[in-house]
Amino acid sequence: MGDIQLIMQALTQVFTVTNLLMILIGLVIGMIVGCIPGLSVMLGIILMLPVTYTIDDPATAIILLLAVYVGGMYGGSISAVTLNTPGTNSAIATTFDGYPLARKGKVKKALDTSLFSSVFGGLFSAILLLLCASLITKLVANFTSVEYFSMGILGISLIAGVSGNSLPKSIISGMIGLLMACIGMDAVTGVTRYSFGLDTLKYGIDLLPACIALIALTQVVQKLRDFKLSGGKLDDANKIDREGLTHKERLSIIPAVLKSSAIASILGAMPGVGGGVAQFLCYSEARRTSKHPEEFGKGSLEGIGAAEASNNAVVGSAMIPMLTLGIPGDGVTALLLGAFVLHGITPGPTMFTKQGVMAYTIILGCLIANILLFPIGLGMTRGVAKIIQVRYTYLAPLIIMFCFAGSYASTGNTKELVLCAAILVFSYLLTLLDIDNTPLMLGMILESIMEKNFVTASMAYDRDYTIFFRRPVSLVILILTVLLLVSLMKMNKKIAALNEKQMEEMEKAHEEL
Amino acid sequence: MGALSLILLLVMPNQVRIPAYDSGAPSPRIIPGICIVIMLIFSIVLIIQSLVFKQEKIVEFDWNKEKPAILLIVMLCVYVALITTIGFVPASALVFSAILFYCGERKPFIYIFVIAAATGIYFLFKYVFTVSLPTGIFF
Repeated sequence: MGDIQLIMQALTQVFTVTNLLMILIGLVIGMIVGCIPGLSVMLGIILMLPVTYTIDDPATAIILLLAVYVGGMYGGSISAVTLNTPGTNSAIATTFDGYPLARKGKVKKALDTSLFSSVFGGLFSAILLLLCASLITKLVANFTSVEYFSMGILGISLIAGVSGNSLPKSIISGMIGLLMACIGMDAVTGVTRYSFGLDTLKYGIDLLPACIALIALTQVVQKLRDFKLSGGKLDDANKIDREGLTHKERLSIIPAVLKSSAIASILGAMPGVGGGVAQFLCYSEARRTSKHPEEFGKGSLEGIGAAEASNNAVVGSAMIPMLTLGIPGDGVTALLLGAFVLHGITPGPTMFTKQGVMAYTIILGCLIANILLFPIGLGMTRGVAKIIQVRYTYLAPLIIMFCFAGSYASTGNTKELVLCAAILVFSYLLTLLDIDNTPLMLGMILESIMEKNFVTASMAYDRDYTIFFRRPVSLVILILTVLLLVSLMKMNKKIAALNEKQMEEMEKAHEEL
Repeated sequence: MGALSLILLLVMPNQVRIPAYDSGAPSPRIIPGICIVIMLIFSIVLIIQSLVFKQEKIVEFDWNKEKPAILLIVMLCVYVALITTIGFVPASALVFSAILFYCGERKPFIYIFVIAAATGIYFLFKYVFTVSLPTGIFF
């Protein structure tokens, strides 16, 4: 079947009432978790994971999670504008211009700009995803299990290279993840590994409770700790006025928005870059090429546009390596990969050949989520902004209860609750040791895929383990891993320095106001 | 820091792994084995980094700052134990009341809210997601 036919078929599947409803729910939840500082988009996706169990169609489930991602990326800017605190890491650059503009009383204008450019960036990259996906899958169609195993190594190394501030620690974290996934019954030989004789560990650690404990519960506990330490004070938020973005202003920011959508899409498609890095680069690029660079940092609409377009553009393009190769670019896509695995789908070229309609349904779902973000954003922003004002002690119990209930629901066994608590303690120890747990999560997610391919490969080549270095493509991937890792680390160091400079400049500019 | 992972590693390999009795496929030891070796290598790198190059970022343990977090985690562990014995709703009511009290909330409304939320989530899971959360001894 040609790609066009697949897309046409997918079109008919996307426009169902359930899908559209899921997108709406996802967007609103994404906006809420995105706009609360300290709760990340990842948390929103984890909270929705148990819910997706009740959805029969895996495509609908993934679309719901994608909508949370899209909504969350915009949601981050709401608190960036009203509180000067970015709701998510990828909204830091939005505070540069969003907050000064809000201080001038033009909150609505700032939020509208951010919404418009979010939608623009998101659409741009979703279309790119639609166009690129089949091209890339054709390139990698000849991959065998040897190459897939090497790709897994590439994925873990890249995530380890960019998360946290120490490479050895991140790699250790990734390895712990792989090890944790090994616990329990081995799929091939049926041998129990590392169960320490405990019944709880005999059947392994399920992905869902692990993710819940590692990311969601750890975050909530930290946030609650900060709440206790600060005595529960709330920041003053700016009130939202009624003066929106005019048509003329909208036209004036389009060049900047377009440029940063393009830059961010390219950056986002490179595994291991992610939204945080993209926004700073786009922001500085927009300032460099702007006609009014002096306004940046003082409430420039172009600045907000550039920052917000970039973080939403990353959503679509980060899906490119994830869907076509099965390599996640950052924590959120790693989690989405986990969601795919939980629903029994392995992303990669085979998904496009065997489940082509579903693959395109997901891509189109992402596109529609971005379109729907515009009306939802217009209608709901005011309501969502009020949620930041709700005391955290109302939210935290809700989230924690939902987390535990969700992990219990994954198998209906109380052992998941025990595992959840145990992993929470473990993950807290890791944070004390300054070890980032994103690579750990990715390791857990990738283990099943990697081991399956490893076993298939070594059986096919009669346990000749040098095969991973002898097959040319696999060798190239492994060499690329090392090269990319080294260059990414260098690049990230440079970018981090640049970011710090920018942050300092912006803080100065904000103080002057 | 590195020492902890080192201990973890040294204990693990020989103690718990049960070797494959049937080897049609590669040994199930390989992947965990590779992971452990890599962890060991990088733990040594970390130790070298800190001892030889003095690059260690010293992680300070501030008891006052971490006390709330540790207490919260302990409370959540108690929560899990309670869920399995007395059920989801009563456990939530008890533990979250304690947490809220600890966080300095004194208004009665928030306590009512939490109990209502626990009941709400219980029924949400029961009827919408068709999962019965543990009911314990009360129902």
